[in-house]
Amino acid sequence: MKDLMRIKCLISQDIETLLNQQIKKEAHSSSLYLSMSSWCDQNGFDFSADYFAKQSEEERVHQLKLFKYVLDMGGNAVSPEVTGIKTEFAGFREVFEDALEAEIAITQSFKNIASRCHKEQDFVTMEFLNWFLKEQREEEYKARRALELFEVIGEEGTGRWEIDKHVNKITYSEQ
Amino acid sequence: MEKACVDINELINVFSNTQGSIYQSDKLNCFYVDFGGKFARYNCLSLQKLKKIVENIDVEALLLNTNRADFELVTFNGCEHIYLLSALEIVALKDLLHGTFTMFKLNHMVNDCLNRLVY
Repeated sequence: MKDLMRIKCLISQDIETLLNQQIKKEAHSSSLYLSMSSWCDQNGFDFSADYFAKQSEEERVHQLKLFKYVLDMGGNAVSPEVTGIKTEFAGFREVFEDALEAEIAITQSFKNIASRCHKEQDFVTMEFLNWFLKEQREEEYKARRALELFEVIGEEGTGRWEIDKHVNKITYSEQ
Repeated sequence: MEKACVDINELINVFSNTQGSIYQSDKLNCFYVDFGGKFARYNCLSLQKLKKIVENIDVEALLLNTNRADFELVTFNGCEHIYLLSALEIVALKDLLHGTFTMFKLNHMVNDCLNRLVY
């Protein structure tokens, strides 16, 4: 009997489902960052607004990268419905706390897919995921560093103004 | 589609239960679902979609809800077929599709061992 499902698609249904869930998570992150950008802009934190707008674009790129992979492998990529985006934040610091929490959730989600790939011996998808796992190093570092600025600079006086100025300059280097 | 239109001898029985059967045609690269008095043709993608939709039906909720009949309409975009199924039929179709996809996995493993990994 022909192995029709395998002929049609390289990835298993379980992996396809996980990747589609990840596409939705990336879309959610992209919208959340855009919402953060809006909040920062409205509250006078222009540099942070730019930082979150860039982050939003990056998440969108991640989403499309996953979307293309699922399609290229013969799977069914699903354009996700994104709802329940937080639009109100208690303060400047909470925005960054939420950003770090979102990145941690994304990292955990990728680890979960990687674990499934190992279980199924799907090394093709695993190799594809390596790029994202490496990217998460940078994403989490930047989010953690931004939050660190609140400790280093402090929020008193012109603290928040200083933090806002420095957020956009955070870069990550492996060396 | 009537069963008579298809040469049943050319089809491979992937999985059967008491309520129906699913066949594969290696010649046409498609599947036939013989269930609920209907003999319907599916490609890979639509069979996967049918499985997802049937899997997502909450039979328990269907039976406990007193505001509606214990029937479910099963169809999806791009599908030519519609099933009106009772709770018992849904359970049987779930079992049929689950068994079929398990056989696909088994067939994949057998193909790997006998053909793809032996050179």
